[in-house]
Amino acid sequence: MARMKFYCDAERCIECNGCVTACKNANEVPMGVNRRRVVTIKDGEPGERSLSVACMHCSDAPCQAVCPVDCFTTTKDGIVLHNKDTCIGCGYCFYACPFGAPQFPSDGAFSSRGKMDKCTFCAGGPEEADNSPEEFRKYGSNRIAEGKLPLCAEMCSTKALLAGDANIVADIYRKRVVNRAASALVSSSSLQQTGFQPTVVPPELEGKATATE
Amino acid sequence: MNKVLLLLCLLVVVPGVQAADQTAAPPPLAAQNVPSPGVDLWNEIRGRDGTDTGQIRTQVQGVDTGVLINKQGQDWREYRMEKLIPNAAIVLGLVALAIIVFRLVRGKIPIRAGRSDHKIKRFSTLQRYVHWTTAILFVALAITGMVLMFGRHIVIPVFGAEIGGTLTYLFKRIHDFAGPAFAVSLVVLVITFMKGNMPKLLDLKWLAKGGGLFGDKHVSAECYNAGEKGWYWIAAIVGAFVVVSGLVLDFPNFEQGRNVMTWYHWIHSIAGVVIMSGAMGHIYMGTVAMEGAFEAMATGYCDANWAKEHHDLWYEEMKDQAVPADSIEQAKGDGLLDHSR
Repeated sequence: MARMKFYCDAERCIECNGCVTACKNANEVPMGVNRRRVVTIKDGEPGERSLSVACMHCSDAPCQAVCPVDCFTTTKDGIVLHNKDTCIGCGYCFYACPFGAPQFPSDGAFSSRGKMDKCTFCAGGPEEADNSPEEFRKYGSNRIAEGKLPLCAEMCSTKALLAGDANIVADIYRKRVVNRAASALVSSSSLQQTGFQPTVVPPELEGKATATE
Repeated sequence: MNKVLLLLCLLVVVPGVQAADQTAAPPPLAAQNVPSPGVDLWNEIRGRDGTDTGQIRTQVQGVDTGVLINKQGQDWREYRMEKLIPNAAIVLGLVALAIIVFRLVRGKIPIRAGRSDHKIKRFSTLQRYVHWTTAILFVALAITGMVLMFGRHIVIPVFGAEIGGTLTYLFKRIHDFAGPAFAVSLVVLVITFMKGNMPKLLDLKWLAKGGGLFGDKHVSAECYNAGEKGWYWIAAIVGAFVVVSGLVLDFPNFEQGRNVMTWYHWIHSIAGVVIMSGAMGHIYMGTVAMEGAFEAMATGYCDANWAKEHHDLWYEEMKDQAVPADSIEQAKGDGLLDHSR
């Protein structure tokens, strides 16, 4: 069974915020809700790197563990979804999440928290019918049901943001890392130019990821 | 073993042999140390010791948006799931058990001399209104707070996620709105009941004798005994912790970050369990534990013999002001009762 994952390649991310825009466009999230964001560290210094971060769809999700109403479910593809009918807006998932993924639209008096909103891996909600108007209103698009991967990764111009089955994502990234190590190794004459093949892609995985080399 | 030794020998000898005829050939590949750019990056993102993240920037406006990985969330998760929930259940369960055991051992505490025909004014109308406002808000907050803490294990399995979620949502809203009201009423309560609740030397004697809880001997006490004074100060001090931390959690619009809120949640939850434990004892003592206790807060008047037995020093002060029980009933009927007294 597939286990869906995001991975952001910091060596490739150029902080264009295209993923953020794609996410907002695909899911039509309300103002103030940022399912995805790009963070740059060492901005303007040597070693500057950017990373795009959203819900990482953890295997042992802290949000799921601490939720007082048990509103989270992990789908068979390993996507962590939450039910907005059950959610009470207490913010406990927001305290526990290391990535800052849960977002709360301000709701009512004293800007108390409304129902939580977070990245759904473009898989809609757990309870509404796939691609129904109710589902879109509550959770945004359901590209997974259409056989597509999340729009943020699909739109990434440098293919820094990878989304898909963990094995395929890991395979793509492993090839990149080996290639980079090899190029660093022979910085004067590139091994890549001489036909260096770090790995052989298994035929069953060929062309199945969102991005290829 | 022999193979290992052989390998070691080769490792030592072979480079030496190579060095001899190696003049133009490039150095062996394995000898180069290739730094991984990922190592420093992930150390910086995790905020490990000796790393410098430099200036962090993000286009997304908001609190803590520049934090990529917040490690404190895991500490809070472990605290809530593995420490708070089981230990709170144990503490509250033990208090309930202690009350049941005390009831079985001691039974209901009667007025030994029987009821007298005179009553003494114990609480003013203002005090009673303040007390009951605080009490109702407190019970609402305690029940809704316990639902937030234990609800997943009780409410959701019993009612299902659909109804349980809606019910918990309602309870959470009650908790949010009763909280600030409780903050106000607690401040008024602390001021209203301050007179007579200052600790005195006499209280040590009362405590040393166990407050007369066990055995038949009564211990001298003024208007409030050390137990009542203790509850007053628990309500005031622990209550202040609950209220302040609760307000920090209740109003997320002042840009306090996640870590601030988890720290205040530690304070709020621990202080909440302490004050709920105290309240269980107070509610038991004030209602069914002894004859004549509840009517003092319900009507404002206590029985003269009850005062004599439980608050003897206060009774000596007040016995001249005792009024016949019938006259109170009558005055109430006529609407002549002096509430301001």
